[in-house]
Amino acid sequence: MPRIAANGLTFHVQRSGAGPDVVLIHGLTGDLSIWFLCRAMQVLAEGSRVTAYDLRGHGYSDAPASGYTSLDHARDLVALLDVLEIDRARLVGHSFGAVIAVHAAVIAPERVEALILSDPYFPALRHLEDLSRWEHWKNFRQEAEEAGVSLSPDTWYDLTTFFDQVLHLDDDRLLRFRQAVGLPGWRRVIRLAETTCGHDSKLIAGLSTELISSISQRCLALYGEASPFLSTADFLIETLPDCRGRRIPGAKHRAPEENPEGFVEAVREFLESIHSEKTREVCP
Amino acid sequence: MTTAATSDAALLAELRGLFREALGVDPVQPIAPETRFFANLGLASIDAVVLGEAIRGHFGRPVPFDRLMAELGSRQERDLSIAELIAFLKLHL
Repeated sequence: MPRIAANGLTFHVQRSGAGPDVVLIHGLTGDLSIWFLCRAMQVLAEGSRVTAYDLRGHGYSDAPASGYTSLDHARDLVALLDVLEIDRARLVGHSFGAVIAVHAAVIAPERVEALILSDPYFPALRHLEDLSRWEHWKNFRQEAEEAGVSLSPDTWYDLTTFFDQVLHLDDDRLLRFRQAVGLPGWRRVIRLAETTCGHDSKLIAGLSTELISSISQRCLALYGEASPFLSTADFLIETLPDCRGRRIPGAKHRAPEENPEGFVEAVREFLESIHSEKTREVCP
Repeated sequence: MTTAATSDAALLAELRGLFREALGVDPVQPIAPETRFFANLGLASIDAVVLGEAIRGHFGRPVPFDRLMAELGSRQERDLSIAELIAFLKLHL
């Protein structure tokens, strides 16, 4: 298994294909297998050198006790680019992975050529979404309910509280719950629950509204058509200098799982649009 | 001559070794054809990625594990029995 030492930790990395560099960044409680399950790893490798890695605390990467803000993760990413000798990459992030991608573009703009932001919700843009009816948490609760697990309606999506609520489930209910919401293996959930990830991921950590708005690389705000965060999508499209939007039919917050074909096609088309524009620049 | 049954048994033995070495999984009740990757072993799709790589390394040849992963992603109930894994390996090794 490719293990790469970077930023004082060891990361699990998978690579495929040849061409311009594309780095895939999964979301919280996920891991790089999402990119195999939705076939992004296979399809994008036809025109790119694709690198996917497990975030710290996730999958087969190390899990330090603390250091889980988007800035910590962005520093990991830049360190990985250094070790893997990737000068400049197109970043594809899902959910918090997209927050990490934006933070990396802030701290190392020269290393980021373009960004595909799949359904991110930014701590600094919290005011854009109506917290009193935070749809993501409602969706999540509904899926849990269907698996026979009742989560408190008055607890906002909060990993720390969430971990506490599921830790005491018996094996059968836990399994049904994990299958319904797609959580990784239980050992890893426990491992992550013991870190500061739940707390840290809610922090702005320097990624202010102004800095998000200043991202000048070409961007795609890719959201599920029924995403809970469409106000954030509108903000990105209206505010960032070079950001277009696209909606994935039949998807809520987890497009790579809810409509894998639609998701991968949107990513592929956007990456190809960069290729063709570059070709035009070289051969006018 | 190797019969289908013995090659199944041989593959099962090799898989037990790979589960132990690559994934750190060595259950008290040995892994059997009906054992389910997710439900019985508590594993997840990331373990399947790592297992796929271990299988490629162990048998020294490319195995289209990516295809199995994509197929797993499209299943309603995301799980995989060891018997299915053995059938997949027999097809591709």
